[in-house]
Amino acid sequence: MRMVEQDQENDDSTEVTWEDQQKINLFSKLNTRMKGFEAKMEAAKQEKEALDDLSTELELADDTESVLYRIGETYLHMPLHRALERLEQDQADLDARFSKLLQSSQQCETEMKQLKVALYAKFGSAINLDE
Amino acid sequence: MSSSSVLSEERGARGIPKAPFIQDVEKHIGGADAEVEGPLKAIQDAISKYRYMDSNLTQRRLGLEEKIPDIKKTLSMVEYLQERREGKSSQSEDDLEDDLEDSDSDSKPLKTTFELNDTLFAEAELEDTDTVYLWLGANVMLSYKLPAAIKLLRSKLEAAEANVASLTEDLEFLREQLTMMEVNMARVYNWDVKRRREHRTAEEQGGKSASEKEGG
Repeated sequence: MRMVEQDQENDDSTEVTWEDQQKINLFSKLNTRMKGFEAKMEAAKQEKEALDDLSTELELADDTESVLYRIGETYLHMPLHRALERLEQDQADLDARFSKLLQSSQQCETEMKQLKVALYAKFGSAINLDE
Repeated sequence: MSSSSVLSEERGARGIPKAPFIQDVEKHIGGADAEVEGPLKAIQDAISKYRYMDSNLTQRRLGLEEKIPDIKKTLSMVEYLQERREGKSSQSEDDLEDDLEDSDSDSKPLKTTFELNDTLFAEAELEDTDTVYLWLGANVMLSYKLPAAIKLLRSKLEAAEANVASLTEDLEFLREQLTMMEVNMARVYNWDVKRRREHRTAEEQGGKSASEKEGG
């Protein structure tokens, strides 16, 4: 990834100062961080979908039979209401994790936006901060 | 100019060298007419060094990140066993009549379906137990009482997460240095392009005026 492609036609007047460099560095760092968040959020989303499917599935389940609930690598046979309790717990944990991720990624995004504004204002088309 | 002189002596956390910021390209190169090849190569070398460190640390983080789910799985299993025991003892104390059926099903041995081998599952009944065996690696397995096992696994999980966090910090630091060097490279390169262009126009004008003189 080349963060800076300085256009030789119009960069003559813009010198990179230490402040600019620090802004570019910060942007680069946040950009990498953001990618990590995105991957984690994607994984959490899929997990959430699986749990949601499970909860609709368990609503239809027969409560006289035990269900198989997976913990780690092993399936445990447990009565339906126990499974529902665990499911609720798992869903709550996941929701908490997801909203934390969402919050951090939003914060990251706002900071990046501010940096983008500042850097584009100074360097114009001499800098490229988008994918 | 040797490649090591581009990286400053200053070091960030955990000994990663800091990348220098070039105040003035001309000064960095060593004069208005100095060659750029040497400095450019030095910058390139520094970039590849940072890239190498980056891939190393990324690899290490991946390894750790794979370990964390394993620890979590084990932990949730042990926690479940512990909950089951606690649930049973508390049940015998208070809600005896409430959920008779429930306590019935709880006193039965725990029935599990576990993976015997890839795609092959077997059923196993688990006697009530207060001990688990944890695989510690190096062909060692140790028996732990449930609370001790939970404590151990939690501390392992915390350590692994702290490790990932510090590696992430290192990687972010590295990313900043790498960006800095990339900017340095672009600036030196562009400075050179600009200088060449100026030289060329100067020569053209010089050539023109010379030929004009000859003609006249």
